[in-house]
Amino acid sequence: METRKLVLLFVAGLAVTLALYLALAVPGDWFPSAKARYWTAKDLRLARGAANLNDGEWVLQSPDANAVIVLSGDAALRSTDYRVMQWIAVGLPPGAEVQLLWRTDYEPARLNSIRVPVESGRLRPVVVDDNPAWIGRITGIALAVRGPLVQPVRIRGAIAKPMGAAEVLADRWREWFAFEGWSGTSINTIVGGADVQDFPLTWAVAFAILIALGFYAGLRWRSLRDRRGIVVALVALTLCGWLLLDARWTAALVRQSRETARFYGGKDIEQKHLAAEDAELYQIVQRAKQTMPATPVRLFVAAEAHYFRGRAAYHFYPHNVYFDARNDRLPPASAMRAGDWLFVYQRPGIQFDRSQNMLRWDDGQTHAAEVKMIAPGAALFRLM
Amino acid sequence: MDAARLILAWAVVWIAGVALVRRVYSAGAADRVPHPAWMAGAGFLAGAFVLTLVMRGVAVAGGPLALRTVGVVMVVLTLALWLPELRRVRAWRMAFFDAAGWRSAPWPAARILWYALLAWLAVRYALLLGEVLRQPLFPWDAWTQWGTKARVWFELHHMVPFVSAITWLGGSTSGYVDAAPHYPATVPLLQVWSSLALARWDDAWMNVPWWLLGVALALALYGFFRDQGLAPLFALTGTWLIVSLPILETHVALAGYADLPLACYLTVGALAGFTWIRRRTWPDTAVALLFLCAVPMIKIPGWIWLATLVPGLVAGLLPRHGLRIVVFGWVAAIVAIFLLGRYEPTIFNYRLHFDLNVPWHGLVEAYLSFANWHLLFWVLPAILLATRDRVVSQELVPLTVVVGSGALFLLLGFSLTSAAIWVEDQSTVNRATLHLAPLLAAWMVLLVHRALTARASEKAPQPAQAPEVTPALPAVPTVDA
Repeated sequence: METRKLVLLFVAGLAVTLALYLALAVPGDWFPSAKARYWTAKDLRLARGAANLNDGEWVLQSPDANAVIVLSGDAALRSTDYRVMQWIAVGLPPGAEVQLLWRTDYEPARLNSIRVPVESGRLRPVVVDDNPAWIGRITGIALAVRGPLVQPVRIRGAIAKPMGAAEVLADRWREWFAFEGWSGTSINTIVGGADVQDFPLTWAVAFAILIALGFYAGLRWRSLRDRRGIVVALVALTLCGWLLLDARWTAALVRQSRETARFYGGKDIEQKHLAAEDAELYQIVQRAKQTMPATPVRLFVAAEAHYFRGRAAYHFYPHNVYFDARNDRLPPASAMRAGDWLFVYQRPGIQFDRSQNMLRWDDGQTHAAEVKMIAPGAALFRLM
Repeated sequence: MDAARLILAWAVVWIAGVALVRRVYSAGAADRVPHPAWMAGAGFLAGAFVLTLVMRGVAVAGGPLALRTVGVVMVVLTLALWLPELRRVRAWRMAFFDAAGWRSAPWPAARILWYALLAWLAVRYALLLGEVLRQPLFPWDAWTQWGTKARVWFELHHMVPFVSAITWLGGSTSGYVDAAPHYPATVPLLQVWSSLALARWDDAWMNVPWWLLGVALALALYGFFRDQGLAPLFALTGTWLIVSLPILETHVALAGYADLPLACYLTVGALAGFTWIRRRTWPDTAVALLFLCAVPMIKIPGWIWLATLVPGLVAGLLPRHGLRIVVFGWVAAIVAIFLLGRYEPTIFNYRLHFDLNVPWHGLVEAYLSFANWHLLFWVLPAILLATRDRVVSQELVPLTVVVGSGALFLLLGFSLTSAAIWVEDQSTVNRATLHLAPLLAAWMVLLVHRALTARASEKAPQPAQAPEVTPALPAVPTVDA
């Protein structure tokens, strides 16, 4: 079979894949008349608990395990028009207990709820139209989050969706082509778009190839014993799919390249470090190094976050740095010697008694020291 | 000026490596000199590894790590290896263009496609180079266990030892410590060489060798495929499939980890070994051994990857019973690992346990859902099914066995050790797989080529002496010379 026909088979396979997916994913009419309804953070109000509206986001933080934070918004929706509710939130801890709440004009006194699943720190969309309490006119919506929330959770808004075919496809498109950007996990895994995807593009392309192979077999059923033809079809269809995925990856690289150029383009290495995400720490370390001897000395680094311990140590080389890469634990005082140095960055639990020139840290350990530099959240000591 | 110094420094390394590989092959049968693209790719890998050996040698001899020591040795080495080759340069250049195979290309569109694909790859590599040059050392381990050593050795001009935290806390006065003091020196030494050339610490530009490794891998793969009889467009398509893997390119862009160098040396070493098994000439042996020596000197798990090559050797050298011995060995290895697992020993920082716990969810996400591998693991079973009669053919069985051993190692490693957690959280699964992936993909390309060639030959009329027939793929048409 010639190349053009195989490419057409791939396109047909892709179309059938998407059609099958829509048949499974669209909960009702493919072409509903209602439009999506949005609530921005400003449209929501704090009904219970503590949270701040900051820069277009509600920031929720509560270390109390029993704390419940509720954000609510007014609504006037026909329940039959809207099948899915989605809250835009990031930073939720795994296993967080989150509920969507709503009231209706059918039973105004009753508060209805449904659990919202959390995945990769985000909230999954919730299908509501099969819930018996999603009835009549929806008069108010709310989101309830139960603590503890040690790290801040950011709520950007909510969307009520009719979930027609076009909307489902648009959602998938956004997920497939969302900008991933380099992060600390990029070296380990490339998701390919949004962190959470209902139907990854890789699956869609693979199914398209499978279906196209099925078409091929149907068209060539008389000569299926010709395995060469099957290999040729398999290779050609794979190349089509690969090219599609590779185009997405190239586009992501182009976008990443622009981002990297925006941050670091035209800068020397010093300026690059001053533009990097740990710029504040870098500056403090450079200040500290000016206080220290030019020849390498033994140096201990203490910071609560292992990221800052490692980064601080890295910037201090070629001094002879000790840092615990895994645990926030200072070595015993017996391992420290007069003439050694200690750098502390955002590390609670280390005290310095200026009157006695004495450092004290975990388990009541002490060591004589003199302070050499103080900066916001940081200090450099020379041990005596 | 900085760019010129960096280019010059790595050009010396590359030229030395190409000259070395060229000399080795020239010393063998003159008609068996590999494709120039292979020479160029393998040459860079050889040069970079030899550079790190020279640096180690200088350090052992008590000399400082400096341009005036390492640089001089490299330049002398380059001249010594290259001068005898100078008179052959013209012939070599002619060979390159002959090897490209375009003079008698039967299908002009194939040439256009070849150039289009080359341009596509060029754009990608340009983007990757921009990332390498602009971004300071970014990924985690790069600044906790690799770049740390490079910084210290560059600034102090000698390879001071890195010792364990216990030794350091015990009062070691000369040793340094970082997150992995026992890791090999090869990768940091590459960064030291860049820094010596720049004469300053620049943790973005020092990572240029990662980009060069990416280019060298592409060149070596293309040359290998051409030597294996693949037409230019087929060979370049195969190369593109391999070097376009997003996780591989991420390791170029976010340079600083040892996984990409390990993958490059393992792939090129295994392919050189495959060539040796087929041709049995000593230059192939020498080149394969050079690359395979580098594998455990890049990362400690390299020892296990070396072990996975042994079954391939057995299968290749003992065509009659080799495969049976290998299968028996695999079964014995699985039983031994299960028995060992009862005692929960720790091997290379991985704790073995008895319970088979395949982290399916993590594996499916890594291999099939996420973008790491494009369609590689989706297509693998289909290719195996469609080319099943080639998989254990006498020619390809050594590669099949090596890939099978590697896959078995990964699967057992992920299922029977503490690494299972790192599969579920996606922290290790792709990096460990990256070591094997280019070789796996190269083997798949060869399987397809052999299946198509064999079937084309079977279909062709069988006169007294059948003409050599090359496959006629629609998407990857052949335009062989």
